[in-house]
Amino acid sequence: MEYLTIALAKGRLASLAIDLFSSIGLDCAQMKEKSRKLIFTDEKNKLRFILVKANDVPTYVEYGAADIGIVGKDTILEEGRNMYELIDLGFGECKMAVCGKAELKDKFHKINDLRVASKYPHIAEEYFCENKGQTIEIIKLNGSVELGPLVGLSDVIVDIVESGKTLEENGLCVLEDICRLSARVVVNKVSMKMNTERIMDIMTKVKEKL
Amino acid sequence: MSDWKLHTPTGVSDILPEQCGQKKEIEETLRMVYATMGYMEVETPSFEFYDVFAGHGGQISQENMFKFFDEKGRILTLRPDITTSIARLGATKDIGENLPLRFSYTGNVFRAEQTEGARLREFTQSGIELIGSDTPRADAEVIAASIEAMLALGLEEFHVEIGQVAFFNGLVSQSKISKDDAAVLCERVDNKDSIGISEILKKTDTDENIKKLILDLPYMFGGLEVTEKAEIDGLNADSKAALDNIRDIYNILCDYGFEKYISIDLGMLRRIDYYTGSIFRCFTNGVAFPICAGGRYDNLISKFGRNLSAVGAAFGVNRLMTALRKAGVESDGLLIPSTLIFTEKGADANAYSLAYNLRVNGCIVEMYIDDGDHRDAESYSKDKNIECMIRVFADGRVMIKDFEKNEIIETSMEEFIGYAAGDDEHSRCCGHEHDDCGCGHEHAHGCGCGHEH
Repeated sequence: MEYLTIALAKGRLASLAIDLFSSIGLDCAQMKEKSRKLIFTDEKNKLRFILVKANDVPTYVEYGAADIGIVGKDTILEEGRNMYELIDLGFGECKMAVCGKAELKDKFHKINDLRVASKYPHIAEEYFCENKGQTIEIIKLNGSVELGPLVGLSDVIVDIVESGKTLEENGLCVLEDICRLSARVVVNKVSMKMNTERIMDIMTKVKEKL
Repeated sequence: MSDWKLHTPTGVSDILPEQCGQKKEIEETLRMVYATMGYMEVETPSFEFYDVFAGHGGQISQENMFKFFDEKGRILTLRPDITTSIARLGATKDIGENLPLRFSYTGNVFRAEQTEGARLREFTQSGIELIGSDTPRADAEVIAASIEAMLALGLEEFHVEIGQVAFFNGLVSQSKISKDDAAVLCERVDNKDSIGISEILKKTDTDENIKKLILDLPYMFGGLEVTEKAEIDGLNADSKAALDNIRDIYNILCDYGFEKYISIDLGMLRRIDYYTGSIFRCFTNGVAFPICAGGRYDNLISKFGRNLSAVGAAFGVNRLMTALRKAGVESDGLLIPSTLIFTEKGADANAYSLAYNLRVNGCIVEMYIDDGDHRDAESYSKDKNIECMIRVFADGRVMIKDFEKNEIIETSMEEFIGYAAGDDEHSRCCGHEHDDCGCGHEHAHGCGCGHEH
C-alpha cells in the first residue's frame, strides 16, 4: 500500500487538525513532539503528514504531492487551485471583509478606480470586478494592511477579520462582508479517484467528529 | 540583465532524445489504435482566427489564449485545443456525406496558463473525434478507444470516470438558477464544495427534492447504482434522458469487457462549455491530472454552419510520458546506433555503400566523420556504447570489430554485404534476419517492419 500524504498548514490550524486526526485514530504522536521535522509518518495507517506554509497547501494538493490538505478557505480562494473541497471543519472561523474608515460606508462602491490594499489580491479582484462590476486598483501588501487607509496608500482594504479588535484600535471598521472563512479539507482530484475507499474512510470519520 | 537567448520561456520546453523517443513511440501507438478503429488522421493549422475559439470558457477562455494580429488587423490565436478546429473542418470542408466521420489528430496546443511546472503552455494532444452520430454506442466507442490506447501503451492501473453534463444542466434549468449562478454552481459541484453549493441553493426557489439532489451530487459516484439513486420523482425530461444515456453507455462498455476500469460520477462536470452530454476523464497513479479527457459536444459544429452531433477524446501526451515512466513501462523509442563505420584513406565510396546496405537492412549505422584515426573512432564507439565498429578500406577489405564479443573479423565488402543481405524466409517481411546484418547483434526495434525478430 502506498502512503497517503496529508499536508497541514503550519501553525494553529495544524495543531487543531492533529487533535482531530488523533481523535479518529490516526497516529499523530510524532507531530506532538517538539521538533523541526517537516515530515511525520503513521506507519500503521500508511499515512504521511507534511507541514507546509498555508499558502502552499493548495499547490501541494493540486500537483498531487499531497493527497489531502487542511487549509483555510481564504487560502483556497486566493490560490484558485483545481481540487476537491470536501469538508468544512468549522474551526479557525472568521470572515473576509472590506474594511476602511467609517465615513466610506455605503460610499466606497461609487469611488472611481477605488484603491484596495490587500494580502489577497485575487479575492479582492474577484469580489469587486466580477461580483460587483467595479473597476479597482489593487495594491498588494504583505502585512499590516490596516495601515493602507491610515497613511493614504489606499481607500479601503480587503482582509481577514476575526474579532475586529485590530481594526477598532486603528480607527477602521468593517464596511462590507465578503464571505465566511474556516478550515477546509481539500483533496487532489486524481487521488480521490485512485484511492476512493481510503480517502472516503478518513472523510467519513472526520465528518462524524464534527 | 539576464541573457534570455540562453533560456526557453516559462511553460515550454525542449524534449531531449530519450524522452523524444518515448514520446514518438507513444504517439505511434495511439495512431495505430485510432487507425485500426477506422479513424483517419487530419492536421489543422497551429493558429486560426480567434473567432473560431471564442466563447468556450473554462480552460480555453479568452485569457488563456495566445493572440496576435494578421496584416488586416484580425485577431489570430494559437490553438488552445484541436477539437474546435476539427469541428470547423467537419462543418466547412467537403469531406463526404457518409456519416459518421472518424478523425484522429496529434498536435501541439497552446495555453497561456498561470504556470509553475506542472502546467505547460505548449503540449501535445492526441485524440479522436467521431462526428455525425448521437447514439450511446458512439460515446462508448470513443471511451473504448481510449481504454484500448492505454492498454496498448502498457498502462495497467488506470481508471475512467464517466459523467453526464446534461443531467446537471437539466437540474439547473428546472431550478430557475440564473446563468451566472449556474456557472458558479457548476464549478462548485465539480470541486465537491458542499458549503458553496448550499449557499447558492439557499437563494434558489425550487423543489426541495431537486435541491437535495444537487447537494448530493458531489458524492454521487460509483457504479450503476448511482443512476438509480439519482432517478428521483420530479426530474425533467432532459435529466431523465441523460440518466438513461449514461446507463446505456456504461452497459455497452461492460459488454465490451471494460467494467473494471469504469465508474460513474454525476458530480463531475467540465468547464469548457461546449460539452452537452457524456463526459469522461482517465486517471492513473502518479499523475495528479487526468491523462485523457473527452465528451459529447452536439452544438459545437453547428456554430460553424452544419448541424452535426459529435463525441471525442484527447490524450495529453506529455502526461502519458510521466504516467508510463511512473508505471515503470520501458520505452524502446530511443534508437541507439549499433554500428560505427570508419572510413580508411580513399574509401569514402565503399564506406557509404556499406553503410547504405546495412541501413536498408535495418541496422542503425553512424559514420565516423572526424579526422582522427581508427583508435580515436574506437574510443568514440565505446563512449557512445556502439556495439561494433567496421573499418572500410579503399581496396574493398573490411575489418569488423565486435566490442561485445571482443573479436575481429576480416572479410571483403562483397562477401560481407552478401552475408548481411542474405535471402531467407524472412525476406517477405523486411528482407533480412536481423542476426545476419553483420554486426552480430539483435535489433528488435530498429528495422521498422513492425515485427520482432
